[in-house]
Amino acid sequence: MYLTKQEERMLDGEYGWANQVSMKILVRLGDLFGAKRLIPIQSAHLSGVSYKHLGDAAIEFLNELATQGGKAETLATLNPSSLDQQILPKRYSKERSAKQGEIIELYGKMRIQPTLTCTPYYLQTPKAGQHLAWAESSAVVYANSVLKTWTNREGAPSALAAALVGKTPNYGLHQSENRQPNVQVKLETEPQTETDYGAIGIHLGKLLKDKIPTIFGLRGSDDELKQLGAAMASSGMTALFYAEAPSKSEKLETTSVEAKDVEQVMSSLCTTDQTPDLVFIGCPHCSINEVKKVAQALEGRKVRKNAELWICTSRYVKERVKNYVGVIERAGGHVLCDTCVLVTWIKDLGADTLMTNSAKTAFYAPTLNEVDVTLKPLNKCLKAVCRN
Amino acid sequence: MKTAKKTLRGRSIVSGHCRGTALVSEKPLSFLGGVDYNTGVVIEKGHDLKGEHLKDKVLCFPTGHGSTVGSYVLYSLVKKGFGPKAIVNQVADTVVVVGAIIAEIPMVDQIDIKQIRTGDIVEVNGDKGTVRIASKAD
Repeated sequence: MYLTKQEERMLDGEYGWANQVSMKILVRLGDLFGAKRLIPIQSAHLSGVSYKHLGDAAIEFLNELATQGGKAETLATLNPSSLDQQILPKRYSKERSAKQGEIIELYGKMRIQPTLTCTPYYLQTPKAGQHLAWAESSAVVYANSVLKTWTNREGAPSALAAALVGKTPNYGLHQSENRQPNVQVKLETEPQTETDYGAIGIHLGKLLKDKIPTIFGLRGSDDELKQLGAAMASSGMTALFYAEAPSKSEKLETTSVEAKDVEQVMSSLCTTDQTPDLVFIGCPHCSINEVKKVAQALEGRKVRKNAELWICTSRYVKERVKNYVGVIERAGGHVLCDTCVLVTWIKDLGADTLMTNSAKTAFYAPTLNEVDVTLKPLNKCLKAVCRN
Repeated sequence: MKTAKKTLRGRSIVSGHCRGTALVSEKPLSFLGGVDYNTGVVIEKGHDLKGEHLKDKVLCFPTGHGSTVGSYVLYSLVKKGFGPKAIVNQVADTVVVVGAIIAEIPMVDQIDIKQIRTGDIVEVNGDKGTVRIASKAD
């Protein structure tokens, strides 16, 4: 790999250990994947924040980086943590709050912003064509497919290294020749709800693994495409899809999605038909429009006893929809920021059965949270959690 | 122990040289959730190394899988003194590569690990990308 004189010096340790180890990561990955040089990035988005997921192992490494001078060289944002600020800390041990606080503080020392959301694109939307180094698979697929920005599917350490150096190795989805679709998908069914989009995503992710599909007949809103992408990136390694044929169309392998495929996914993702203890909307974190839809549907209704309703979003979105938040809270629901079901300990709160409109959550919760799951669209989720 | 000197050639991933006892698995390994970072013992259910200590072993497994946070587990293991001496993979994946870089564990991939048996004494050369079997286990 070609390195500038400054990059060479960084690799040799002249800029301190934090920069050196970050540079080692970027250069080694670049070598392995055939990059010829490093390119500057517009932003980095980091996973590896939730204490539930991270445990104590990472704290040592983050601490070493922070004390040895690690500072983000570009806009750098953080994925959700295991806690919100108001509701959850009271319900868990003090140790969990302290450890989670320590992790966020260490990132803060490195000038990485405590956005604590998986939808950083609502806070600051990058422009089409910009190069990014994002982790969080749902944000990566949204960035590439909906926002038309360019990022590889980074992991927690490689996104962190890219943040501290401000660069990423130029390979994979940073090169236009690798962004061409290599499979065609015909939608033979008309998705009706956000959950249908998610179910199609789970089906396609399993089928296509890391291929880049062009999906003919896909006309979803950005929120619906967010569900589709998040699901594809969970059951597969998808990082980019096209919702319409790009200009250069070749003879490509073709597959189709039928109504029976969607039904099959829906039933395979429902592990119970019992009444849920917890209903969760907000995976990925809700947009302004999604919070609005929840509020409108909850007008005049009440969450029943022995059940909880969680709407998860970013602090940024919550502050912009205070009136809707009011409606949800008056109905007995919670609007949580900085966290979500997948990255916190819902089992310890007494939740054994979860209902959600997110196919990604339904895919992961049985293993990550050890709960039973039902996947239903928003209106059915709210019906299940309300008494009227 | 029989002496059966044989050199396997692969690709250099992380430089460094060491000699140690091989611990060989047929299964991909996830460091997050698969290895207890406080003890260095493999805890993944159904894994062929379950219950084994990684400490000071030349750890040979086909490839890594699972969360990218697994890289930090490797760092933590080495800091606590429970880490492997070297890593030998068939196909290096980014989780293990990054873990070996930050923990400074010599690492080689593109090695036919079926030729190595648990208990063999092996020499890993992370600069040349070679694994030399110095003596075979009985």
